[in-house]
Amino acid sequence: MATVQVRDLKKSYGAAEVIHGVSMDISHGEFVILVGPSGCGKSTLLRMIAGLEDISGGTVSIGDRVVNALSPKERNIAMVFQNYALYPQMTVAQNLGFSLEISSVPKATIRQKVADAAEILGLTSLLDRKPSQLSGGQRQRVAMGRAIVRDPDVFLFDEPLSNLDAKLRVRMRAEIKALHQRLGTTVVYVTHDQVEAMTMADRIVVLRAGSIEQVGAPLDLYDEPANMFVAGFLGSPSMNFLKGELVPGSAARMQLESGETLALAARPEGVVSDVVLGLRPQDMAIDPERGTPAKVMVVEPTGSDTHVLAMIGDTEIACVLDGRPGIAAGEMVPLSFASDKVHFFDPKTEARLTTTGLSRAGAGPA
Amino acid sequence: MSATTTFEEDNITPARRRDPLLVVLWVALVTVAAIWVAPFVFITFTAMKSNSDVMTTSAFSPPTDIAWENFSGAWKKGNFSNTFLNSVIITAVKVPLGLLISAMAAYALARIRLRWGRFLLVFVLFGAMIPFQVMLAPLFTLVNSLGLIDTYIGVILPYLAFGVPYQVFILHGFFRAVPKELSEAALIDGASHFTVFRRIFLPISLPVLAALLILDFVATWNEFAMALVLLQNKNMWTLPLGLMSFQGQFSNSYGQLNAAIVMTVLPAVIVYLIFQRYFVSGLTSGAVKG
Repeated sequence: MATVQVRDLKKSYGAAEVIHGVSMDISHGEFVILVGPSGCGKSTLLRMIAGLEDISGGTVSIGDRVVNALSPKERNIAMVFQNYALYPQMTVAQNLGFSLEISSVPKATIRQKVADAAEILGLTSLLDRKPSQLSGGQRQRVAMGRAIVRDPDVFLFDEPLSNLDAKLRVRMRAEIKALHQRLGTTVVYVTHDQVEAMTMADRIVVLRAGSIEQVGAPLDLYDEPANMFVAGFLGSPSMNFLKGELVPGSAARMQLESGETLALAARPEGVVSDVVLGLRPQDMAIDPERGTPAKVMVVEPTGSDTHVLAMIGDTEIACVLDGRPGIAAGEMVPLSFASDKVHFFDPKTEARLTTTGLSRAGAGPA
Repeated sequence: MSATTTFEEDNITPARRRDPLLVVLWVALVTVAAIWVAPFVFITFTAMKSNSDVMTTSAFSPPTDIAWENFSGAWKKGNFSNTFLNSVIITAVKVPLGLLISAMAAYALARIRLRWGRFLLVFVLFGAMIPFQVMLAPLFTLVNSLGLIDTYIGVILPYLAFGVPYQVFILHGFFRAVPKELSEAALIDGASHFTVFRRIFLPISLPVLAALLILDFVATWNEFAMALVLLQNKNMWTLPLGLMSFQGQFSNSYGQLNAAIVMTVLPAVIVYLIFQRYFVSGLTSGAVKG
């Protein structure tokens, strides 16, 4: 059973601590994605699991072994790097078989395993080529093949798709997911791309500045983010945050800093006044009856839907509108939102506040 | 009609016009090349002329009858078979050994985390900054006290000491520029540092190693001052010392003297021609996204 256990893991460079006591459990066969902005420590965390970075504190266990003191080769892991890291002077077949060759595996076995891996990844016709003769996607596949032939306990991926163009990235995303389903090996995958995280992971670990912000299944994190950081990081375009004050009284109303008043179908539990309202761009719509007037700044049609940047007072709002609403920059449009899908956050702690639904339906300006 | 002609002329002119700067550069290149080649032409032609031809013909006119006997005569008179052998032994041991030591040291300094790595690098590079002339006297005392005067090893060790720092400097820079993921991938694949060095770094640094080999071969083959101090016995002399002695004795035999010079220079030229084909860039292309 190749579980990965990280306990109170710390990393310091001199006096500067960059990973502050991270703990997580990854079960056998799970696809876990570490996601966060640049410099959040996700790659460092992965490299500590791989044994490429020293551990300043805490433990990493793979299976039932604590691997802190083991070298990378003793951990039985395989890693795929962002820039592929293929050996330039070797052919694809030699690249794939290198790890087996230096472990003195019999040549016939190496040939068989290389052929199997090449078959899985569609590399059979490329086995005699050098890395310089391959396209980006093919190189990435060779890098994955190199990981597969070793039959490791854990696959580690360090932003493997960042160097590919957008179209190829989508295809490779599906290939990696299919590969995981086929092999059933535990995967720890690092990316800064929240779309990759949402689409591929069994569980997502959101990191910020060396600490875990939230761990959970992709849709759970999307629907119930623990705080404004997670809410803003997952989902594209990012969630809109509107600062305001709840109007006292039983009905849920909120006065925005810019002066507009919004009617809500939910309100935070307990007695709170200052809140940050979180609205997903996808939950916005044009509603001539109840919409708040907003000035359209930018219209970006994607074909299937339309991304719109608009201003309600001084507040910038991103919306994703269904279809092609036929609006242009400079126009005023009435924007409403699905008021049962709002999130409230504490402006000081940025933590999400539990909401209670109200009986009165409807939303928009009061 | 005339409009069409003008249009066509306009279209063609840019391709035909030469960039004046490029022309100046070409002229400069040819001039410099001619200045550099002139002594070689002079030496080679003179080496193939009899003494009377040397006196009567222009220095740059090709020989009419090739006087091959200049070569055999100089070889015999100058005892070049002995000095040649000494040079071959010293160079054949020193150059590959020096490169190997430098490459391993450069790898360790560039890729293995060492507590005093930076200090060690500076310490090694410091060696490249000391002019060896300053060290000649103490060097003689040291080699003498070790009883290594007039031995191959007594010359090879100082050659190594003075050659390694520069090579470490060049190779360290090259190894540092190799993406660290390449060695990390190999370490994860189960390779030891020695395997990473031998199977990954040595093959991709072939162009640099070839360049260093040529430079080091020429420097070692032509080295004069240290050999003069450390090799007192005539039988242990290297080619440059043999050539000096020959020049002293036979300075009037222009043909033979130049034949001796040609024979001294020839191995260096051959080594250059063999290894210059490894000067290909882009051996690492395709290793990582580029």
